[in-house]
Amino acid sequence: MASEMIIKNLHANIEGKPILRGVDLVVKQGEVHALMGPNGSGKSTLANVIMGNPKYEVTEGEIWFKGENILEYSPDRRARMRLFLAFQYPMSIPGVSVANFLRRALEAVREGNKPLDEGENPTGKMARRKSIPPAEFRKLLQEKMRLLRVDNSFINRSINDGFSGGEKKRAEILQMALLEPEIAMMDETDSGLDIDALKIVADSVNALRGPDLGILLITHYQRILNYITPDFVHVMFDGRIVKSGDKELALELEDKGYEWLRPSDEENGVTANAY
Amino acid sequence: MPTSLPSGLSRSAVEELSRQKGEPEWMLQKRLQAWDIYESMPTPLGRRGDLGTLRMFSNFKFQQLSPYVPSNGNGALPAPIEQSLKEALVDQRAGLVVQVNASVVQIELDEELKRQGVILTGLDSAVRDYPELVQQYFMTTCVPVNSTKYTALHAAFWSGGIFLYIPKGVEIEDPILTQIWIDAPATATFAHTLIIADEQSSVRYVEEHNSAFDGDQPSLLDNVVEVYVKNAARVEFSNMQDLGLNVWNITNKNAVHEKDGSTTWVLADLGSRVMLSNIGLGLAGNGSAGELVGVFFTDHDQRYSLNTLSDHASTATNAETLVKGVLSDESRVEFIGMIRVRPKAQQTASFLSDHTLLLSDKCRAESIPSLEIGANEVSASHGATTGKIDEEQLFYLMVRGIAREEAERIIVQGFFEPVLQRIPLENLRARLRRSIVRRMSGSYETEADTWVDAQERWEVEGVDEYAVSFEGKPAEEEILLTEY
Repeated sequence: MASEMIIKNLHANIEGKPILRGVDLVVKQGEVHALMGPNGSGKSTLANVIMGNPKYEVTEGEIWFKGENILEYSPDRRARMRLFLAFQYPMSIPGVSVANFLRRALEAVREGNKPLDEGENPTGKMARRKSIPPAEFRKLLQEKMRLLRVDNSFINRSINDGFSGGEKKRAEILQMALLEPEIAMMDETDSGLDIDALKIVADSVNALRGPDLGILLITHYQRILNYITPDFVHVMFDGRIVKSGDKELALELEDKGYEWLRPSDEENGVTANAY
Repeated sequence: MPTSLPSGLSRSAVEELSRQKGEPEWMLQKRLQAWDIYESMPTPLGRRGDLGTLRMFSNFKFQQLSPYVPSNGNGALPAPIEQSLKEALVDQRAGLVVQVNASVVQIELDEELKRQGVILTGLDSAVRDYPELVQQYFMTTCVPVNSTKYTALHAAFWSGGIFLYIPKGVEIEDPILTQIWIDAPATATFAHTLIIADEQSSVRYVEEHNSAFDGDQPSLLDNVVEVYVKNAARVEFSNMQDLGLNVWNITNKNAVHEKDGSTTWVLADLGSRVMLSNIGLGLAGNGSAGELVGVFFTDHDQRYSLNTLSDHASTATNAETLVKGVLSDESRVEFIGMIRVRPKAQQTASFLSDHTLLLSDKCRAESIPSLEIGANEVSASHGATTGKIDEEQLFYLMVRGIAREEAERIIVQGFFEPVLQRIPLENLRARLRRSIVRRMSGSYETEADTWVDAQERWEVEGVDEYAVSFEGKPAEEEILLTEY
């Protein structure tokens, strides 16, 4: 059965300021959803809240994944359930190479849905983890590197350290390819890329697309949707999804902008340009 | 058979020690002068508002220590020492010295090197066998007796000790390994290392400080390292300090250079309850150069005061100091890094950086890099950062499935890795990695041998020919993160 992520009436704050104001959304394995909307509408926040970023406080609502309410789960546990986030601004971790980090992350994700951390783990002891033999890892890596057409120099550098904007996005997709998530959120993966880089990134995403992967593609511009065709398009405004449709909706947005979708003040309670 | 001295530091204890050792009069006089200097110098108390390491030492009960405790002398090394030796030993080594408390118990030196005139011996023996060298070099110009109150105390009570002389032109490829062990409470050990690298010689020397005794009753290691680097000689000195939390440590190290001489200090400080460490690079010869690579990791209520000095006294000298440390629990570390460029030291280049990472809310670090520049044709700079682990970095790793504790460990490993790569000896590097991981995993049964980035390069065959790359412009929207 395809895994499902179900978001119900999700409200979230940052530093007391409401950003998500009742999001409802269902993403299934195998589907590609584009989430569009103007700056500050809450798209990135939604992705971060789904992964459990402690910066945000969930005040109301639920997130269900594979039949479990995951709101109380730590970010790493959510990842081990095979949720994934390709970051808009991936962090650099100096001194840790992409390949070695990937191997560690893959080992962790293969541990599956169980608590591993001190606070979460009732036995108080961390289980000795299964490590992936180098030969097996090399083979997997080879497959994914060929698919995404990246070279050796790429994986031997420190994670995102000194990477160009495009390289960072590509590193995110390599991680996504290797970790094989069931639902992946891609947060403005297209931003900051020139057209050639955008094509390479879009090709990579298309290469990973399939019945086992659900994608929530967060984007500001319609541009990337010329290369990645979504099954569904949603528009977010002031912390809510205000309109959903198919790929035609994206074209309509390209044409008309976002303003026509702005909810009226009465309905929304606050004025524009809040989050 | 020498016997331990009773507790208490006094002039008569100095006399008794020298008498027991059967030392020549000049050494007795040197010790007594040192004792008088010790008595006359005020106890250093540090600066107002510092983190209090020196003040802690001022309250340390020196009088409860026995200033001379030889090893029990039955020949066999205690089990923990045997074990540690096994780990530390590399097949390729030029020599080995083991000191337990105040006695040197084992000395080995490659036969070929002996033939070439290399001397590796206990300092006690050197006083008898090479009195001219010892008189000329022992606590005279490198670490003078009156450098600090505690070096004077050291000069009065030094015992055991290592003497290494490398003759002109002899290059020792393999490392000389030394270990200094303290295995009894309430003792004061004054270990001394004297290295003279004659013209155009070179040596790699590793010294480890360890302890193996239980209980809260503290012992003291007050050691001095003096390195004389003659014309165009090269010395690499690595020190790993992994003393128990019941040992207090005062350490003074200096290297003085003639023309074109160079020294690399590698310092790894992990242990001891309170450590007061002074490390110097005395660049008095034209074209001499020094490098100092330091890592430390403190936890519990450890207190460190680390003081480095790059002292440029001549033209065209170079120095680089790079210190990285991680603090946890309630530990405190003060770092004072000084670059001094004297008026004659034109065409000097000197750099210093100190980066610390704080893992808990209760640890404290203070970093004071300073410059004193007396010449005008100089390139000198320093930088220091102190910060916590970035929550965003942690979140990034956790979103890849890695649990928080391990994510912290990975970030710490990555933080240390660039300095570890500067440590020339692979064996030392590997053991340091393990020690750090072990310290961070606490009592958890985890993969203490794993270091996520052990400089391992992955070569995946058959990908490069398919690869495409693009000149991604470094995006202007980048958010600048914590810089290490």
